[in-house]
Amino acid sequence: MRAFMDHCARATGRVFPDPAAFHDFSVADYRAFWRLFLDWSGVRCDGSPDVVCTDDRVEHAVFFPNLRLNYAENLLSPAAGPDDATTAIVSCNETGETRSLTRGELRDRVGSLRQALGRIGVAPGAVVAALARNRAETVIACLASTGQGALWSSLSPDLGSDSLLSRFGQLGPTVLFVDAAHVHHGATKSVTDRIRALAEGIASIRHVVTLDDSVIEGLPGRVAQHPLSALLSTPAPAGLPWPRLPFNHPLFVLFSSGTTGAPKCLVHGHGGTLLEHLKEHRLHGGLGPADTLYFHTSCGWMMWNWQLSALASGATIVLYDGSVSFPEALALPALVDRLGVTVFGTSPAYIQFLRDAGAEPNGRLAFARLRAIQSTGSILYDAQYDWIKDHIKHVPVQSISGGSDIIGCFVLGHPLLPVYRGESQSVSLALDVRALTDRGRERVGRGELVCLNPFPSRPVGLFGDADGRRFHDAYFAANAGMWTHGDAIELTERGGARILGRTDGTLKVNGVRIGPAEIYSIVLGLPGIAGAMAIEQTAPAEPGGSRLVLLIVPAAGTNLDRPMTLAIKRELSRRASPNHVPAVIAQVSSLPVTHNGKLSERAAADAINGRPVRNIAALENPECLAAIAGHPALRLARPSDGAAA
Amino acid sequence: MSDTALRQLVIDWLDDNYHFGEAATVIGDDDRSFLKNGVLDSLGFVKLILHLETTLGVQIERKRLTPGTFDSLRSIVAHVSALPSYRGVPA
Repeated sequence: MRAFMDHCARATGRVFPDPAAFHDFSVADYRAFWRLFLDWSGVRCDGSPDVVCTDDRVEHAVFFPNLRLNYAENLLSPAAGPDDATTAIVSCNETGETRSLTRGELRDRVGSLRQALGRIGVAPGAVVAALARNRAETVIACLASTGQGALWSSLSPDLGSDSLLSRFGQLGPTVLFVDAAHVHHGATKSVTDRIRALAEGIASIRHVVTLDDSVIEGLPGRVAQHPLSALLSTPAPAGLPWPRLPFNHPLFVLFSSGTTGAPKCLVHGHGGTLLEHLKEHRLHGGLGPADTLYFHTSCGWMMWNWQLSALASGATIVLYDGSVSFPEALALPALVDRLGVTVFGTSPAYIQFLRDAGAEPNGRLAFARLRAIQSTGSILYDAQYDWIKDHIKHVPVQSISGGSDIIGCFVLGHPLLPVYRGESQSVSLALDVRALTDRGRERVGRGELVCLNPFPSRPVGLFGDADGRRFHDAYFAANAGMWTHGDAIELTERGGARILGRTDGTLKVNGVRIGPAEIYSIVLGLPGIAGAMAIEQTAPAEPGGSRLVLLIVPAAGTNLDRPMTLAIKRELSRRASPNHVPAVIAQVSSLPVTHNGKLSERAAADAINGRPVRNIAALENPECLAAIAGHPALRLARPSDGAAA
Repeated sequence: MSDTALRQLVIDWLDDNYHFGEAATVIGDDDRSFLKNGVLDSLGFVKLILHLETTLGVQIERKRLTPGTFDSLRSIVAHVSALPSYRGVPA
């Protein structure tokens, strides 16, 4: 950060007496900021960077329209230039097996796979999907596919078939990378049924590549199957050229659940993703070739893509495939210690698990190289900062928050600023983040998180949204001329921030965003159910600070009994994911609806969380809220004092 | 096993949170290891302990838990029912 600040001071002739002044410059003159950062970071590209941003309107702006680059090329040959013998990836699993790939090995394998993919038609315009474990093979597949100019989308094998089809089914992939099984908590679980369901349900799939070299029986006749090792068997010629693609060429599709309808397919571009991640890693995180980054994630979450990009900063990345708590509570801390991780990425839910388990990581482990801990997914409470300091290591704790929507962070760490409990240290450079209140767009205060200026990692658009109408409705309709994110934020006097929760009606439970529509599409198809409503209840004792509640109106003559309750949970776990399983299912006689017949999750959520119900006059049946709020099943149990022992 | 209500409490919790009606099948017999046989992972054990503490009003010392004392249905029931603060499963 300091080096780049000095670079900008020299280039502009300005003086930046402190980080706040530099942040102000980065926002007020964001074009100069991004041009300087592009040059300073040494991104490999060609074309002209002279036009930095075509429009001051965040919805319509296009960054670097005349620049061409390749995301994968920049990860494999970063400006920081670690040599080919340097470790790029360390891949681990529950058994303790550890495999490393050097930069040279990674580049060679990507080259071989790029060649092979080219022969089966993977080129700009192609869509590649992956249902895969978090291992080196998935990274090779991703970099080879995107290196060829294809659009990449990955999900993890714990998703059920309904969730997989509702996502990949929108994209029309021609190639599907798969692992035939995944291992969780010592048990190997087959994924082949879901692979067959995808191959049968998505007519565009022509090729299945098995990352674990397995053979999948029963695929449709139109699908050719390839073990990965066969595609890697022919070395690529030395100096295989990288296609240089337009800055905004589609790179990744990430999924974001909304309140209704299928999940949104967010398309992110090569240049925006690369530049934003380089900024977050090198400036806010201080990452470089001496670092080893381990962010616990799966390849279905944007943190997988975010961590992958750290290769472009010259860092080594660690991939862990398996349960966080197998074979013991200290499995991940032991990994951090053993591999010499310098930056460990985790979540409040995981920190709470360690605390509830009575774990004492620093009683057994030295964490000699650990210099920072990052946390995301949900609010990191003040007490958790203290617990990390007392039980892991006294290092900066960076609470970061953003979303798949921007494949990055709105608020995150800062190497030149102190850490205050409960706060993210700073707003992301060059992003004009404000709290929108009745008084306007505040730099300090609590309100709706909005961003006023263009930023490169704004999605290119939504997949299949040719006229941009859905993109506009999702992020720009609520407040004209600004990006509305769907989070409530508090911006503090000292430049820090706290994310306070969702404002858009989506649920965030255990750090995972859940769209109620996905729950309804399964539950309302089950026998004996006339109505359903999924809401989030604040529950401080739960990991992430909340729990998922499902209200059920049974069909006439039916009651919600234990077999029905278990059946609902079983179907949601199997067809959606374990994260979609409610903590509580409660029978009610009616659900709140508006005068135009629309269910009001917001009213029910206000009621069960003890808040005044907003806009109660809009409800047809406000009298049902008292019964919902007073439902005995929704009473929160007080955690025992023994939990802190 | 002496405390059938406590045993059923554990099975019901496993059904409600992990196995959705199939807990008895997954458990197999009362002496099978939960950890080794995919009944519960370490994360789940922590949640079970919190549930037992909250529901039964007991305190379970984490440091006294070992695979021998808290990793099968029988050993979990035996450990909890031997706690001085244990007063049975509430109605």
